[in-house]
Amino acid sequence: MSNPQKKRNFQIEAFKHKVVVDPKYADKTWKILEHAIHEIYNHNASGLSFEELYRNAYNMVLHKFGEKLYSGLVSTMTSHLKEISKSIEDSQGGLFLEELNRKWNDHNKALQMIRDILMYMDRTFIPSTRKTPVHELGLILWRDNVIYSPMIRVRLLDTLLELVLQERTGEVINRGLMRNIIKMLMDLGSSVYQEEFEQPFLDVSAEFYKGESQKFIESCDCGEYLKKAEKRLNEEIDRVTHYLDAKSEGRITNVVEKEMVANHMLALVHMENSGLVNMLLDDKYEDLGRMYSLFRRVPNGLSTVRDVMTAHIRDIGKQLVTDPEKLKDPVEFVQRLLDEKDKYDGIIGSAFGNDKTFQNALNSSFEYFINLNPRSPEFISLFVDDKLRKGLKGVSEEDVEVILDKVMMLFRYLQEKDVFEKYYKQHLAKRLLSGKTVSDDAERSLIVKLKTECGYQFTSKLEGMFTDMKTSQDTMQGFYSSHPELSEGPTLTVQVLTTGSWPTQSAVTCNLPAEMSSLCEKFRSYYLGTHSGRRLSWQTNMGTADVKATFGKGQKHELNVSTYQMCVLMLFNTSERLSYKEIEQASEIPAADLKRCLQSLALVKGKNVLRKEPMSKDVGEDDVFFVNDKFASKFYKVKIGTVVAQKESEPEKQETRQRVEEDRKPQIEAAIVRIMKSRRVLDHNNIITEVTKQLLSRFLANPTEIKKRIESLIERDFLERDSVDRKLYRYLA
Amino acid sequence: MGIQGDRVRFNVGGRRFETSATTLANAGRDSFFGALFDRNWSLQTDVSSDIFIDRNPDCFAVLLDLLRTGEFCIPANVSEKSLYREALFYGVLDHVRDAKWGQLDGNRLQYSRSVSGQAPGDGTAIRASPNGGCCVVHGSMVHVYNWMLEEHPPINLDFQRVNDAGWIDSENIVITACERLGTGDGGMGLFNASTGELRYKFSVSHEDQEKSYTAGALTFSSDYRVFSSCKGRRNEYGIGVWDQITGKQIDFFYETPGWPLGDADRLQWLSGYNCLLVATLFPRKDNCYISLLDCREKDPVWYWSDVGMPTNFDEKRVRDVIAMEGKNSVCVVNEYEDLGFMDLRRVAGSVRWSSRSRMTKGKMPDEPCYPKLALHDSQLFSSMSDSISVFSGPDCVPTSRLRRSYGGSICDFSIGGDRLFALHSEENVFDIWETLPPSII
Repeated sequence: MSNPQKKRNFQIEAFKHKVVVDPKYADKTWKILEHAIHEIYNHNASGLSFEELYRNAYNMVLHKFGEKLYSGLVSTMTSHLKEISKSIEDSQGGLFLEELNRKWNDHNKALQMIRDILMYMDRTFIPSTRKTPVHELGLILWRDNVIYSPMIRVRLLDTLLELVLQERTGEVINRGLMRNIIKMLMDLGSSVYQEEFEQPFLDVSAEFYKGESQKFIESCDCGEYLKKAEKRLNEEIDRVTHYLDAKSEGRITNVVEKEMVANHMLALVHMENSGLVNMLLDDKYEDLGRMYSLFRRVPNGLSTVRDVMTAHIRDIGKQLVTDPEKLKDPVEFVQRLLDEKDKYDGIIGSAFGNDKTFQNALNSSFEYFINLNPRSPEFISLFVDDKLRKGLKGVSEEDVEVILDKVMMLFRYLQEKDVFEKYYKQHLAKRLLSGKTVSDDAERSLIVKLKTECGYQFTSKLEGMFTDMKTSQDTMQGFYSSHPELSEGPTLTVQVLTTGSWPTQSAVTCNLPAEMSSLCEKFRSYYLGTHSGRRLSWQTNMGTADVKATFGKGQKHELNVSTYQMCVLMLFNTSERLSYKEIEQASEIPAADLKRCLQSLALVKGKNVLRKEPMSKDVGEDDVFFVNDKFASKFYKVKIGTVVAQKESEPEKQETRQRVEEDRKPQIEAAIVRIMKSRRVLDHNNIITEVTKQLLSRFLANPTEIKKRIESLIERDFLERDSVDRKLYRYLA
Repeated sequence: MGIQGDRVRFNVGGRRFETSATTLANAGRDSFFGALFDRNWSLQTDVSSDIFIDRNPDCFAVLLDLLRTGEFCIPANVSEKSLYREALFYGVLDHVRDAKWGQLDGNRLQYSRSVSGQAPGDGTAIRASPNGGCCVVHGSMVHVYNWMLEEHPPINLDFQRVNDAGWIDSENIVITACERLGTGDGGMGLFNASTGELRYKFSVSHEDQEKSYTAGALTFSSDYRVFSSCKGRRNEYGIGVWDQITGKQIDFFYETPGWPLGDADRLQWLSGYNCLLVATLFPRKDNCYISLLDCREKDPVWYWSDVGMPTNFDEKRVRDVIAMEGKNSVCVVNEYEDLGFMDLRRVAGSVRWSSRSRMTKGKMPDEPCYPKLALHDSQLFSSMSDSISVFSGPDCVPTSRLRRSYGGSICDFSIGGDRLFALHSEENVFDIWETLPPSII
């Protein structure tokens, strides 16, 4: 107790439960950051320490002052942008865009640096509070304070549109600056770009091109107009690639297409003296190509072009096939068709990009007008005949194929393919029998093509003809080897033709000279000896003969003549002079043929081995003939043709026609039965449609004919009419 | 100066480091280093001084090594948590995550760690998030963990019992809960994973009237739809369909008689079939019903049920089901972990049970957990008592087995973000399994 103790004063402080951060801490830290943002905007950032600023921003977020940091950022940036906006507003006329661009670049750079400092806030505080990230915030503030500032908004749009107009009128503008400004609008969001620039741009462009196209259409011809339109279109595409959003390309080209092409489509196509028809006539490939590429861009563009082209082709084609002048020479006629086809194939190929729809239009046009002329099948066959007789001589195999393919193309257009077949058969028979065909390969190649086109049935008889020719050769060899004694004297070559495969000919016989008829008899017995149960009949009207003749002054010639002519000539071995009547009696050649044959023996200049009295153009009943002793020719072999009608005469034509009709009947009936067999019951209209469809590859069936066939089938109990509905037919099995 | 050519010198919290700008460039532009070296920030040209960073040098060393090598190793003197914090500061957290574990391969899984929680009672479900986090459902609470396994604020929906949960993306969770009669509580809600705040409540309406309902099984489709089985008190039995973006209900499959959609245990969206697999299983119902619903036809295009099967099928009772689109089949599992398969291209076929010898036979634990199935790439996973089996190949042969003795049976597991999470029923604990990053050589 007595221990005096110094009184000590303890000061007991309350224990702090909570660590409170210095309230001024946040303000101080923010001041540092705010200062840094000022410096950044003032291009004065070199003195700043990134590490320090980053740490400060980090600390603010860490100590729960994120909200303060964020709102401070918004207000600081806003006030800077307001200043910037003012300085842009104050910029002088032409410098406006440059100032805007410069400030935009500054802002972007500053924004990047601010974002760097506030990276930690961007990563942690912003996502958890669902605020706008710093970069996006910077763009939004720029948009609201600068672009949407009323003083800038209108001026910006006007300036941009003015520059575009300047460029359209040929002035050079600063595309780089343009690109930067447009890029800024796009960076601010596609809706900003669209509202602040694209839509007004499209409207102004539409107005511009509306006026310009009106001007052009009044002053230019079609080709020139198209050239200008194409140039404008390319300019706009070029503009897009240089300084607009790529998505604008479709929109601005649409405007140009609509104003310059779609709105003037008809005027262009039908433009007098320079429209589509003129281009086609003058083979203006370049203009046509341009028209195609422009018109394909607009709705209904190509169909307009196509329709006009189709009408034109049909027109031309119709003239071609109905002009009586042009019908005189079938070869020329077909050649014209081919030329026309080549011309349009060329146009479609090089100007219309081989457009399928154009090809179809061309094909249907050809189909249309070729069938306008009922003689087209005959003419095409004659064309082939001409080519295969002589036209293809010395032509390479590929070229032959090309010509044959072209013929096949025309053939495809034919509706009456069976008529073609009839003629083709006749012409082929003549070629084969006279040995005139140039190339066996070409003949067979065409048959193969016909076969692929129309099927086996179509060509089986034609092929049969070829087989007959081949078999006959073998038969002749056999004949001569079994009759070695015949090597002396006249030679006989027989072609045995199967009835049915060949065009039917009335078997007209004539009196053959004795030498020949004995030879023929020998062959007959040989042939019937090797083939039992066959019948041979001679078609003397089809044969040819080589005759050796010695004329008055000893000139020797070998005459190539027809069998009839041979018969006539042989008569002169025994008599000097013969009257027409005598010849007719001796040879028994039908009068018409005989006249024709005498004509060619006596009246053709240079080939007149006979002479006639009196000398007249025609052969009369009372004429007298004798050998022309003075006959002279520089050739040893002389070919004496027969005056033949190349084209069919009117009655022949009728006959062919009738035969075709006759041949169609069983085909129509077969088709009806086939269809009814599978359908059992069908009404009239449907039968007609189906039958027509089935027979289309051969010919276009006539509805009345089909009706007749149906009636005939009903009579023969293949079909019956339904007892209730008379329109229905029933198949009777 | 701090920079000489490619060389860079740092002073981090008093320790000096020397590295190259190229190494630091690995961090990417959106990182502290990326910004530091950007030419906007013309670094001080003071020759003598290093670049000073006021941070922990030990952690810096680890992260610098990560940038140098692409590998992430945690030394003894540094805590994982502080490393994550520093990585977040430097903006290289994604690098850490990518380096920490590799692509999941069921046959190369390694146990990584366990996390235990404080929630009372058994866990209901565990769901992996797309970026390697997870959420655990306990009664009426959902505990959320990010990939660093830091726990976020827990989630609840009016404190109603949670039936299922699912991640729409790594930031958003949907949970389904029982309704509280008459109050409109419960149902289904969308939550922010990191803050736990409720962002949106999905509603079911019938004849223009909003109904309160109990939401059960949950699934999402790749075209941003949410599907959940629903039970209301009137006509709202069935499967509800909502749009993930607008949150609006866009469809409802009403239950057809004898086909309990509203009680479904499992939903799975099959994008190749454009169909929803719905399975209602024992013991929720006496029988098992599996069907494939066509969204446009609103009709089952495929179905299977064990109604009317012979009674001695006890051991073949289907406990879980999963569709394998690549194999055009549905895989089912019974309580003995037998796998069975059905062909999705044949309606009303039968289950083809695989005849493999049962690995678990004879030693069933006292409190078994029923098997669960999961699919990853072409590997099939099946949990059974305290282990998970991995099946690979076209015939689904067993190839691996994952097992930890601690924590009792596995009541649920989930695969996501290249991690496998297994939730144990006895202790309140879940395991994380990972595949190591590819080896260096």
